Amino acid sequence: MSDIRSRYSPLGRALSPSLLISMAAVLAAALIGLGLIFLMQVSVPDAIAAFIDGTIGSPYSLAASINRSIAFALVGIGFVFANRANLVNVGGEGQIAVGGIAATAVALYGGVENLPLGLPYLLPLLAAVLAGAFWGAIAAALKIKAGTNEVISTLLLSFIAVWLLYWTVQSEHLLRKPMTNSATLPESLEIPDATKLPLLTGDYSFPLHIGLPITIVIAIVLGVVLARTLFGLQLRAVGLNPAAASRAGISYARTVLISLAVAGALGGLAGGFMLLGEQYVLKDGFSSGYGFDGLVAGLLARGSIVGVIAAALLFGFLRSGGINMEMVAEVPTALVMVIQGLIVIMLAGAAYFLERRPG
Amino acid sequence: MSTATALATASERVPSEPLLTLQGVTKRFGSLLALSDASLEIRPGEIHCILGENGAGKSTLCNLVFGAHTPDAGTMTFRGRPYRPSGPADALAAGIAMVHQHFSLVHDMTVIDNVVLGQERGIINTKAWARRLEQLGGDYGFALDPFAKIDDLSVGERQRVEIVKCLIREPRLFVLDEPTAVLLPDEIEALLDVCRRVAQKGCGVVLVTHKLAEIKKAADRVTVLRGGRLVARSDHPAQEIDALVRAMIQGELQSLDKSAASALGVAEEDGGGPHRPTPPETPADEVLQINGLTVIDGQGVTRLDNFTLSVGRGEIVGIAGVEGNGQSELGAVLSGMATPTSGHVYVGDIETTELTPKEITATGFAVVPEDRHATGCILELSVAENIFLNRLDTFTSYGFLSRGALTAAAGELMTRFDVRAQTPDVPFSALSGGNQQKAVLARELTLPNLKVLLAAQPTRGLDVGAVAAVYGHIRKACERGAAVLLISSELDELIAVADRIVVLYRGRIMGSCAADPTEREKIGAMMAGQLQ
Amino acid sequence: MTWEVLAVFLGSSLRLATPLLLAGVGELVSERAGVLNMSVEGMMLTGAFAAAIGSWATGQPLIGLGIGIIAVIPVALIQAVLSNTLRANQIVTGIGINILVLGATTLGYRELIGARSRTEIPGLSMWSPPGLGRIPVFGDALFEQVWLLYAGLAIIAITALVLRYTSFGIAIHAAGAEPRAVDKSGLSVSFIRYCCVLFTGFMSSLGGAFLSIGDIHTFTEGMTRGAGYLAIASVIFGKWKIGGTILACLLFGAATALQFQLPTLGIDVPNALLIMLPYLLALLAVGGLAGRQTAPRALGEPFRR
Repeated sequence: MSDIRSRYSPLGRALSPSLLISMAAVLAAALIGLGLIFLMQVSVPDAIAAFIDGTIGSPYSLAASINRSIAFALVGIGFVFANRANLVNVGGEGQIAVGGIAATAVALYGGVENLPLGLPYLLPLLAAVLAGAFWGAIAAALKIKAGTNEVISTLLLSFIAVWLLYWTVQSEHLLRKPMTNSATLPESLEIPDATKLPLLTGDYSFPLHIGLPITIVIAIVLGVVLARTLFGLQLRAVGLNPAAASRAGISYARTVLISLAVAGALGGLAGGFMLLGEQYVLKDGFSSGYGFDGLVAGLLARGSIVGVIAAALLFGFLRSGGINMEMVAEVPTALVMVIQGLIVIMLAGAAYFLERRPG
Repeated sequence: MSTATALATASERVPSEPLLTLQGVTKRFGSLLALSDASLEIRPGEIHCILGENGAGKSTLCNLVFGAHTPDAGTMTFRGRPYRPSGPADALAAGIAMVHQHFSLVHDMTVIDNVVLGQERGIINTKAWARRLEQLGGDYGFALDPFAKIDDLSVGERQRVEIVKCLIREPRLFVLDEPTAVLLPDEIEALLDVCRRVAQKGCGVVLVTHKLAEIKKAADRVTVLRGGRLVARSDHPAQEIDALVRAMIQGELQSLDKSAASALGVAEEDGGGPHRPTPPETPADEVLQINGLTVIDGQGVTRLDNFTLSVGRGEIVGIAGVEGNGQSELGAVLSGMATPTSGHVYVGDIETTELTPKEITATGFAVVPEDRHATGCILELSVAENIFLNRLDTFTSYGFLSRGALTAAAGELMTRFDVRAQTPDVPFSALSGGNQQKAVLARELTLPNLKVLLAAQPTRGLDVGAVAAVYGHIRKACERGAAVLLISSELDELIAVADRIVVLYRGRIMGSCAADPTEREKIGAMMAGQLQ
Repeated sequence: MTWEVLAVFLGSSLRLATPLLLAGVGELVSERAGVLNMSVEGMMLTGAFAAAIGSWATGQPLIGLGIGIIAVIPVALIQAVLSNTLRANQIVTGIGINILVLGATTLGYRELIGARSRTEIPGLSMWSPPGLGRIPVFGDALFEQVWLLYAGLAIIAITALVLRYTSFGIAIHAAGAEPRAVDKSGLSVSFIRYCCVLFTGFMSSLGGAFLSIGDIHTFTEGMTRGAGYLAIASVIFGKWKIGGTILACLLFGAATALQFQLPTLGIDVPNALLIMLPYLLALLAVGGLAGRQTAPRALGEPFRR
């Protein structure tokens, strides 16, 4: 019954069981979150007020929320793309990290400052993309050569990347800014102005950068690729039955490599945006938590690119609101993680109920 | 433990209290009515055969008896009491044991561990169990090494393990679902003998089959299923074979395509015959050449040993042999899914030994794989996508797939090959087994430059109508000049369809001969490993 | 390199390998039965947190250990219910649990102990097998360990015996290799897998508790730092056999110990690279340096009749 509805009417499709389940999971988790706030003896109205303030309370916080969403969206889109081939990329955080490292390195020391045509920021972005793609490709190579479970390999690569980041900002031979005294923080120099991403409005109190339109374009392009192209179908075929796809002439190696490289590249790009668009200084741990947020957005989306955008926005705002809640209402940001964990678990379990459709 | 002796006194086949009765049992799977209003009874000490072609509902019946599914309507009684199993545990507790068509043995455990599974608690007394196994073997006339690993056993030996697993529980009802499909002719005899001994001890035996020869040899009573319904019964099956056949296929045996009749396991005396214009005497145009193909697997076991064969234009060469003697490895190498340890394969002038599947398909090499669900199709994709799975790029422009053209072209092929489905865009899994196979044939046989067709177990699990269709398509491919390599474990099928037969045993070619019914014994001996 | 230094190194390796050993063998049992527990990390963290809180609140590390074990039961149950009964994607489930536990334990820690971090928590005592402790040079450094290690080794030995020689061990093997065989023998695949997941939870919580009240005597947020994933990698490295898994864990422990050992030898390697080493090793291990891996055939697939 619901089968027919979702297949033939737009409204039916919008109300598909999949979407309802996602919304229900988010709602339930949010309620539990509010309950926890209550248990922590924090005033719920105060917490909510702090939350709203942190998300849309000022143009600055709004832009910050959206910038965060961009990073989550890219990781989530990468996840969905690779997942079409039944590959689970869990290494978003590491891919963001290597992207950030590459972008900073090229921006500071790549000699790009004085190039024309936007190259001062495009080249570092390209470096970020390539670094992320490379990181994803390592997992792909292991999968192709040795059948290694990509969940484990991308995860281990993520840990390695995080420590690579730590080393990079700690070591003077690498990106650490020259130590003038013992109190110099382990971080890089600030990137030159020319390499910073141009803002959409040119106004620093609303620092929304060009990452937003780029991300939207990427989302549309990849969405079309998945839905309408031969490659999209090939991805699906390999994900469903690699042996049969292979026999039919679809190259398993090529498909796996492209999917994980793309997922990694998008993660790297997110890292590039974060460095060149917001933070401007490479710091230890800058990617912390972004990988998981993006991953959960990807899971929540249940295979739909549009879903990723929606979920990414949700989490972007959630994180911004959470940070403010911590500062103002003393609600630790760990609460956001609890809510996310609950969402994922509920979604995982919900699949069972989706299977029970009649007919 | 001692119930066997109590029943042993009922050794004469005197009609006695029924062991198992079914009354009006019905089972639906989605929109498919697998079993409808079935009523029958099984008596202790008899060998009761359930006869029916593939798809008639026999396996469903067995699964209901064994508790793997629950009936939608109807009742069952066992030994006079209502019987409503919710799972295999209930069936086993009641005293019902079953040998399934697809074995469920743990491949990397020993025979004894497989038998012990579910039978004991706590620490295993291996010696005692080994002794029991050997005793059982003696009682029923077969030998089994308790410490052999399942991986190292032949298919026939694995089936023996399944049988032992059942008999060691001393069941009152012993059900076997299509047990002879994987056996050598000798092994079939041995199996029927085991069934007789089991029945003699007072146990009821239910033998599910579609082979008339077995009915003739072993059945005490027969029930016939067709399309999920019970259509006939016989208390003297050996004398009423013709009536049973009529009930099973709703037609006469003679009217059947001779080769399709082989599907029923009764290749008649003069089967084969000139079914095509002129079988090539000398392989004038050798299209497929396989030289010294050897495959040694990761564990160092030789799966294929110096395999050499040529197939000419328009020739059908059959490869006989029980499953597990190298057929899968041969198929894998020929279709490009595996590389051999040594040897060469040529299609025409082109060497295909190390080519990718895509390149091999480009040489005109078509494959109908033995397990179509594994490598032949993608169930979740649509029928249209599956039919053109290996040439989707012909419907692509600038990377975009033209769905309309794809669906239209698929519709055409479906009509030509009689693939029945609601639309070309339904999931492949919605098709019946026969239609799925026809769709695979539609894809493979429409290769523009078809030179070779490799068909492995192409009619397994198909009903007589689909079987006849498959043979028809194979013959048409021959007429177009394709060389056909037909791998099958059904000897009757090969005799009826092939021109000559080559026998594979433990990866080696034991010998070859014409596909003539007079050579049946010779072929059977070779299949069992005896050199000629 | 003197013998004393070697002894200290071996002792540290053993100490650092202990949580991996416990969690790794626990995970091995689940994977043998066909369940892929990505949530080992979360289970370890649960054990670490609950044991720490319990020990801190009551002043009795033993009670803390008990609370750690009790606390992991609901976590293991979530994993078991989702993987078996609801047939959920096991990887997604595991990751979800890890995120949830990370958030919950961080939250809990802030609320309960908060600013008073670095509080010294009563820890488990040390023990040494009689006699071995007195071996010159090696005795003390190598064999004087937290008693939980020896208890863990005993449990591991019993586990190995159960897997090999009992009917339940056979059932576990079958559940992972060919669950249909288990079902058709009248046993319950679900029951077997539930038991195994609970065992994994139990062992993981011991491993986590070792970290907080055994080794460091404090709790820090997210203190497991990927140890759960190293445990999973060790099972793969060990080809799903107990012996191999133990070796892999010892290897990872040694790699972690290098971090503290090399500086004392005057070898100057950036700390980050040393910290990275176990993960790199694990990556190489799962990447096939240990040979093609043969996982239990039904690993990660929920069973449906």
